[in-house]
This record gives sequence, structure tokens and C-alpha cells, in this order.
Amino acid sequence: MSLASLSKRAAMLYRHRTLKTPHGPLETPVLFPVRNIGKRSSDNTPEYADSIPDLRTAMVNTRAIRQRGPQWDRLLEGATIREEMGVPSKTILYADSGGFDYRSKEVDTTPKQVLETQRQLDADIYGTLDRPLSPENRAVENQQRIEESTTYALQASDAHEGEALLFASVHGHDPKTIRNTLRYLERKGDFDGYALGSLVPIRTDYKKVTKLILSARRVTDKHLHVYGLGGIVYQPLLLYLGVDSFDSSAFIRSAGNRNYLVPGFGGTELHSIEELEHLPCSCPVCCSRPLSTIRKDRNLLTQHNLWSLVTELRRFRYMVAGDYDIEAYLDLRFEHNEVTQRAYQMAKQQVRRFT
Amino acid sequence: MTDNGFTITDEQRDYSQFNLEENPFPYSPVPKNDPEIYCGQEHAAKRISDTVSTMLSTGKSKHLVVTAKYGNGKSHTLKYTRSLVRDRDDVLVGYVAQPGEGFRDIYHEFLYDLGFDRVQQLAYEYLAHITSDITDWHPSRPDEMCELIDEGELLLSEIIPTAIQRLNTVTQFADFSRAIVHMVYEDTNLYAWQWLTAEGIRYEQRKEMEIHSALDDDTTSVRAFTALKNILLELGYTGVFVFVDEFESIARLSPKDEQATLNSIRHLMDQNSHGLCLLFACAPEVWQDVMSEYHAFSERIGQEVALRPLTDEHLTDLVASYLDTARVDGTGGIAPFEEECLQWVHQRSQGNVRQVLSLCSRLLDVAADRQQTRVGRELGETMISD
Repeated sequence: MSLASLSKRAAMLYRHRTLKTPHGPLETPVLFPVRNIGKRSSDNTPEYADSIPDLRTAMVNTRAIRQRGPQWDRLLEGATIREEMGVPSKTILYADSGGFDYRSKEVDTTPKQVLETQRQLDADIYGTLDRPLSPENRAVENQQRIEESTTYALQASDAHEGEALLFASVHGHDPKTIRNTLRYLERKGDFDGYALGSLVPIRTDYKKVTKLILSARRVTDKHLHVYGLGGIVYQPLLLYLGVDSFDSSAFIRSAGNRNYLVPGFGGTELHSIEELEHLPCSCPVCCSRPLSTIRKDRNLLTQHNLWSLVTELRRFRYMVAGDYDIEAYLDLRFEHNEVTQRAYQMAKQQVRRFT
Repeated sequence: MTDNGFTITDEQRDYSQFNLEENPFPYSPVPKNDPEIYCGQEHAAKRISDTVSTMLSTGKSKHLVVTAKYGNGKSHTLKYTRSLVRDRDDVLVGYVAQPGEGFRDIYHEFLYDLGFDRVQQLAYEYLAHITSDITDWHPSRPDEMCELIDEGELLLSEIIPTAIQRLNTVTQFADFSRAIVHMVYEDTNLYAWQWLTAEGIRYEQRKEMEIHSALDDDTTSVRAFTALKNILLELGYTGVFVFVDEFESIARLSPKDEQATLNSIRHLMDQNSHGLCLLFACAPEVWQDVMSEYHAFSERIGQEVALRPLTDEHLTDLVASYLDTARVDGTGGIAPFEEECLQWVHQRSQGNVRQVLSLCSRLLDVAADRQQTRVGRELGETMISD
């Protein structure tokens, strides 16, 4: 490798690793599409596990599945969650605790019960029970939630056994708290990785979010997951910041709003496009279908949006593998949007100080 | 470099013929921040010592005004006293160069003199105090506390809610408590510092710290000062020293603002019967006016000490002390100055310290330029006539 390309790589924190899970090795960085199974009467996530070859991952909500009586009964009677989801048996599942529901509710379970359910789901990665923060809460209440989540994580660490990986859920709205909590968990518990939460409500504050992610990256070399920020705009930023995995339901939510995601552009509402016969994407959904068909079918739109998220990741990987100047690529990538461009420039400054 | 009559050089003067390393007198006779020499004001030294010692020994507040005409050593006296107490671990000392437009400015200058680092240390000290109470850790210094947090030995989120709750009880000023706690977070510590120093911050920045009020007037500044002092007492400090120089500048304020400033200081004294020592330096004519017009204020201070012009004997001591700081042969005394020369300096300066130092400095340089080994009266007279 030439010195010039070495310096191109040194200027970012992107990393490629292999995570060993009970259902096989997992190449990172990777996206976990959020499977809304259990949250509603039906699964609103399209089939993708067979059609997108490099996407054999899913994020499921432990609490939601546990609360869905009939399905839970089937699982207890011997059905597998993978069968329920209609995905191949080798699909790698990340089961978060469903703590997002505890933003406004009291916690009605224990770290041990959550682990038990995750075990029952045969998940590969367990996210510890947590209570996400909200900018609307009083600071003291958020501090108490951070402490609670940390205590839950340590209880999960004590109770955890088996091959599945345990990721401690970590919350905080300032770098000092993130660093302190991670180091505290590192000292007191035994975790395979960490998952940073509570970033969704502050996602438009790019400066803060990148600072928080970098403060976590600075503290640990272990796997770093970011909850809920794997959308089309954030994804390249997360990769650049050295995040190993992320989850997203953006493809479902965007489709609900008839938003068509395009890598490098973000989302466009389909009602604003009328004259075209075909959309620009070459994914299996768009390549042969006219715009009118896709516009009418939410499921197709969801599938396309997921392809877009995957394409974004593939493209980044390709740029790295091809030894391209990633910062130059990202300069172009964020060029058209003033907000994300500023966010990337801030991230770049922070990464350069970091490296 | 010689050009059109200017001769600019970086060549140093040689003072070796006087057995001196350098000219020990200041060229611009303004007091150093940490003066080493204090001469000739035994009565003032006694009164100041008594005021300071009373506060240190009893914890009860005591205040003093030092008066003197310009150049007679008020600032020097304040700074010298400050240098005596500032290294103590049990007090906090701040110097205010002049009172500005009101108490808010005094408070602002006081905080600035303490500095960002010192206030941040206080925040860590308070967290250490709480940590000792609610965990098995007993950090005794701010840096120890900081390390425990940075290394993840203890959980910050466990400490903060208790710290805020207890601080609220101690300060009776919830916004102040939050600002102190935010001094430990790198994202918000500059906003917290700006708020604490009464500089004013944007609403969004206040909101981020859950601070509801603006610290922007004399009343809230008095409240903030008292809150700070209460934190110190809670941490086991004996108290706070505030040195306010050039107090005579309040005479430049409008009568309404002057009265408001004096009232605020009075409220400060009333709210702090323990742990506060205020030392003012003021021109005598302004202090006389304050005494006659603002009884409520002057009666609370109660004490005044007037600095006097130097006597011949004090002047000799002062010059000898300065010369000692640069002397290479260990001999003492006033050499190379002749006694008659110092008498001339005394007459010319009328015992005004600033003028004494200025004259001595110039005399020594002229003697060095002329390669004389002694500094006599005639050199002074020649220098003046030139």
C-alpha cells in the first residue's frame, strides 16, 4: 500500500472486522434492519433475507415479541423466531430489550427476564435492558435513567452465559458521561460490545451526535453499535466514525410516507415526481417496474428503500476496498445538503483530532 | 540601530560596578501581582493583619478600607496582602482591579480572577465531597475525583443527582448549583463559566443546562456570590477574601448607581456574617464622602486605615530592600546611593512610593550610562535639569 493511500485510511475510523456469532461469522460494519415483528398485528417488514445476499441480519424487539401472546406461545411450543419471521435459519438476530418503550413507562421486567426471552428467541446478540433518555426529561431524571441502565447492564453481565454476544446499552447526552459509563461497565462487567442509545431524539444535532459516538469509539476497541441511526443520511457518517453496526427502520417509515430513498440524495416524496416512467435505481424492485406501480405498492417501496440502505453500505465498502480517498468521496456525498455537509465537516475535524 | 536621532538597541546595561545583577527598581512603578517587598507602613500592616487574622481564626466576617493618596501604595498593599493569604488551602482569594459599574462587575472580576480552572476544581471538590458520602471512595483532591470519573472507577450518573440536590440546599440557588455541576462537562462548561461570571448566555445554552434565570444584575450577583461562599463553607473552607482596588472610581457613577453599588455590597455583607473578608483600597476624599453620605455602608465596614507617605527612614529601608533583590555580593545597605541622594529623593517625592521608585530607577540607569560607581545628589539634580 502506498504512503498516500495509508494516509487516506488513517484519516478515518472505518474498520472492517468479523464478529463470531452462534449463527455464523458476521462481517462488519453491518446494518440490522429493524423487523417490526410483534409490534403490530402483522409483520410489516418485506422479505429481504433471500433477496439481498449480504443482508442476513435483523434487529428484533424482545419486549414486543414477549408481549404478543399467541406468537410467544408458539415460540414456547417449539416454533423458532426465524420461522415466524420467514427468514433462513442462519439469519443473525440482534434482540434489543425494547427499552424504547420505557421512555414513558415504568420498567416492568428485569435484566434476567430479558435475557431469558432473548435466549428463548435464540438471538445472536443480546442488548441489555435500558431506559432511553429524552431531551425533554429533567437532567436529574436522565441521570437516574443512565444509572438504571448501567445497573441493568451489569446485572445482565452477571446473569449471562452461553455463546450469544452481550452488548451493553449505553446512554448519555454528553461525552464525559459516555466515556465514564463505558469505562465503568468495562471495569465492572463482561461485555462483547456496546450499543449507544438515546441518539434518535437528538439526531438533528449532528455535532452532538458525532461527538458522542467519537467519545465512545475513543474509549473502547470492542464492537460499537448505534441504535436507530442507520438511515440513508447517517449511514456514511457512522461508517466514517468507526461504528461497527447500526439498525434502522427508516426504510419502513419512509415508505409509509411515500418517501423514495436514493443513496447520495436522501429521500424524495414520490408525489412530487410525475413525469418519469422509470425511477433511477437499478435494484430488483425498480429496474423493471414503472414508477406508477412502485408508487402504488408500499411493500415495493419498502423493499426498494432497504436496497438503498444496503447500496449505501456497499458503496462505502467499495470505496474503501478500491483505496479511494474516502474524505473526498464524502465531500461529494454531502455536497448538496448544507446541514449534512456541515455535520460531515465537523465530524472530519473531530476524527482528525482523534487520529 | 541609529536613525534620525533614535538609537534602539537590545544591549543590556551593565550594573556590575554597583555589584547589582540588574536595575531592581521597576521602570513603570506599578505594583507586581505578587510583591515581595513591603516597607514602612507598620500601622497599616498591623490593622490589615488583625482584620485578616480575625477572619481566619474565628470565621467571622471582617472588612477594612485602606485609604491613601495616589502613588502611596494602596494597590501594592492589597496585592501584598493577597500574596500572603492566596496560598492557603482553606481560603479563596480574588482581586478586583476596580469596581466598574456596579456589584455585578465586582462579582464578574472576582470570578475572572479566580479563573475557569479554579472554579472547575471547586466543582470537582464538591463531587468528591458527595462521593465520600455516598460511595466507598474517598477522593480528597479535585484531580483525584477527576481521575476516578475518567477511569470509570465510579459512575458519574450516580453522583450527579445527589450533588445537585445537596447543592440546592447549600446554595439556595438552583441555577447556580446546576452551573457549578456543568463545569465538569466539556460540552457545557464554557456556557456554565459564562453564566457563572455574569457574562450572559443565550437562552438555548441556558436551557441545555436547565438554568432558568439570567445572572445579569447586582441582586442576582450578590446571590451568586453568597452561593459560592456557602459552597466553600460546606467544603470546610474558612472563607473568601475579596480585594477591591480603586474603589474611588464609584464616584464616577451617577448618584443612583453609586448608591445601588454600595447597597449591594451592604447586602453582601449582611448576607455573609461568616466567611467573608472585604478589603477595599480607596482615595481618602471619596471615602470621606461615602462615610458622610452612606452610613449604612460605611458603618458595616467600620474600619479604615490610612497609608502614610514614607519617612526618611522608611525610604532608606525601601531602597535597601529593592537593592537586596539584585545584589550579587551579599552586602546590604543603600549603596550605590549616597545618603544625601536619598534625602534629595525624599524631598522631591514627598515620600510618595511611586515617585521614589521611579526616581531611583532613573538615577541608577543614568549612573550606569555615565559609568559612575556612586549615585549622589548632584546626579539627581543634573538628571532633572537635563
